Amino acid sequence: MSFLSTYANPTRFLRFAEGALPWLSGATLLLLAIGLYGAFTAPPDYQQGETVRIMYIHVPSAWIAIFAYVVMTSASLGVLVWRHPLADAAQKTAANLGAAFTFICLVTGSLWGKPMWGTFWVWDARLTSMLVLFLLYLGLIAVRQTMDDTPRGARIAAIMTLVGAIDIPIIKYSVDWWNTLHQPASVFRIGGPSISGSMLWPLIIMTLAGTLLFLTLHVMAIRNEILRRRLARLSMQAVRAGEPAGDESMEPAK
Amino acid sequence: MTRKGKRLTLIAGAMAVLGLAAGLMLFALRDNIVFFYTPSELAKKQVAAGARLRIGGLVKEGSVVKNGHDVNFTVTDKTNDLAVSYTGLLPDLFREGQGVVVDGVLQPTGAFRADSVLAKHDERYMPRDVADALKKQGVWQGETK
Amino acid sequence: MSALPALFLREWRVARRIGGSGAMGVVFFLTLVAIVPFAVGPDPNLLARIGPAILWIAALLATLLCLDRLFQADAEDGSLDLFHLAETPLELAVLVKCAAHWAATGLPLILAAPFLGLMLQQERMALVGVVATLLVGTPALTLIGAIGAAATVTVRRGGLLMALLVLPLTIPVLIFGVSAAEAASGGTVPFYAPFAILCAITLAALALCPFAAAAALRYLGE
Repeated sequence: MSFLSTYANPTRFLRFAEGALPWLSGATLLLLAIGLYGAFTAPPDYQQGETVRIMYIHVPSAWIAIFAYVVMTSASLGVLVWRHPLADAAQKTAANLGAAFTFICLVTGSLWGKPMWGTFWVWDARLTSMLVLFLLYLGLIAVRQTMDDTPRGARIAAIMTLVGAIDIPIIKYSVDWWNTLHQPASVFRIGGPSISGSMLWPLIIMTLAGTLLFLTLHVMAIRNEILRRRLARLSMQAVRAGEPAGDESMEPAK
Repeated sequence: MTRKGKRLTLIAGAMAVLGLAAGLMLFALRDNIVFFYTPSELAKKQVAAGARLRIGGLVKEGSVVKNGHDVNFTVTDKTNDLAVSYTGLLPDLFREGQGVVVDGVLQPTGAFRADSVLAKHDERYMPRDVADALKKQGVWQGETK
Repeated sequence: MSALPALFLREWRVARRIGGSGAMGVVFFLTLVAIVPFAVGPDPNLLARIGPAILWIAALLATLLCLDRLFQADAEDGSLDLFHLAETPLELAVLVKCAAHWAATGLPLILAAPFLGLMLQQERMALVGVVATLLVGTPALTLIGAIGAAATVTVRRGGLLMALLVLPLTIPVLIFGVSAAEAASGGTVPFYAPFAILCAITLAALALCPFAAAAALRYLGE
């Protein structure tokens, strides 16, 4: 908890972001380079041939889509329990990132599905629950756009995030509970991974790179959100003090 | 009753209802809701002709007969077989011994007329040479799902 | 405990009054169902096949559209503050409000469903299936919708936002409702399997949604 109280202060967070971002983005770039090299040089699959390479984008983005929701859920607890502005910013920005990665996951999955399964889309449990996740993200973004930066908006989004969290276990276990067209888990499963080592290591590196990419983008987005709110507050104060806010030319004609 | 007592009763009531819901769920999952049926499940159920359904299984080795765009093949789950006819393009992964899901209508003759054929991929990924080596060593467990 | 029956009666009366959502919900339901044959064509076989699905979608939309005022009117006239202060737990008040709302808007939909089903060429067993699934499933829709209604209680014109938030959460109800309704008139699934899951979803909604909606009202009421 001492960690929380130290870094949950927006000013401290800005300082932390300034120090950490170069390292985070550097590590992301390095891992992405290694991962992409591995993805392009990995052997083709015995069944799918070269199309298997879509997996190196699809699986990490699916993982991040879920990871972002988990991050958002914990941020929502922060909003409701501690009412912390930083948790608010984290929740808001994670929704945008999560929606983007879910979209990438759905699109790459469709592109893989057309040649392999013979269809862009089927309504099986895994695909449908992932689509529901995308809709949940869009709904949460809509809340933020309707409610601006009010604490009310933050709490509505937080409550709906917690309610929607029920979809996460459904996504994870959908392939085990139902006979889906989507293949069952290959990496985290009883009896060890069913992916050959030469294909598994690029996948793991890409997943790590993706996670770091998400963290980098998330820290950047939180920083921007804090700065944006400060700017909004400062310009409000400036207007109240009778000064023209910002550029003169943007003022309405007198 | 005090306010706290009321809250406790309320929570206890909610827990009881939740328990009932979980019980019903377990009861229902004995006959699970599925994306597709296997030929054996189909044989057990005695579905009337004309019903729309999805059948999943493996393409039986040596059963594929192509005639232009018309394809006939047999879907098997190693105990029961089902003859399927289909007209159209097949997905890349469609091959003998590989998993498929066919969507269509059961004919009065007992055969299956498919409107779409989807290839089902399993959770194994490996390079071709590894697959060949495994086959050679005899550790290949067959193309079951 | 006589506060709860009083609340039920009050809600029931409000919902039935002109401008309340009771009658309008049914009319909306009827209009939606009437629109579909124009869109998909009047082919009797097609209508017979997709009839249960049409009735379910129409019931879902009608229920959601009626729900956005569930707590807003109370927030505006101050009675929501009284619920907060009352001796009765807020969760129970929410539950009773949902029950009254369902009785005023959900039940008429279910009563209208068999007649609309006849217009959609439904067989007798299919009609029974649709009515049974709607009877069991619509309370879940009302309860899940109540969370959205509570979350958007302070949003002006929050109806669309509420629908956006709640619709993804109602997908399981729709899936099992329609598959049970279709199973009633033949098919590969025995009727009881999806129907039992539908019952389980409704019971779970009954147990959890009042708590979630009450929590939303508490957090937003401060």
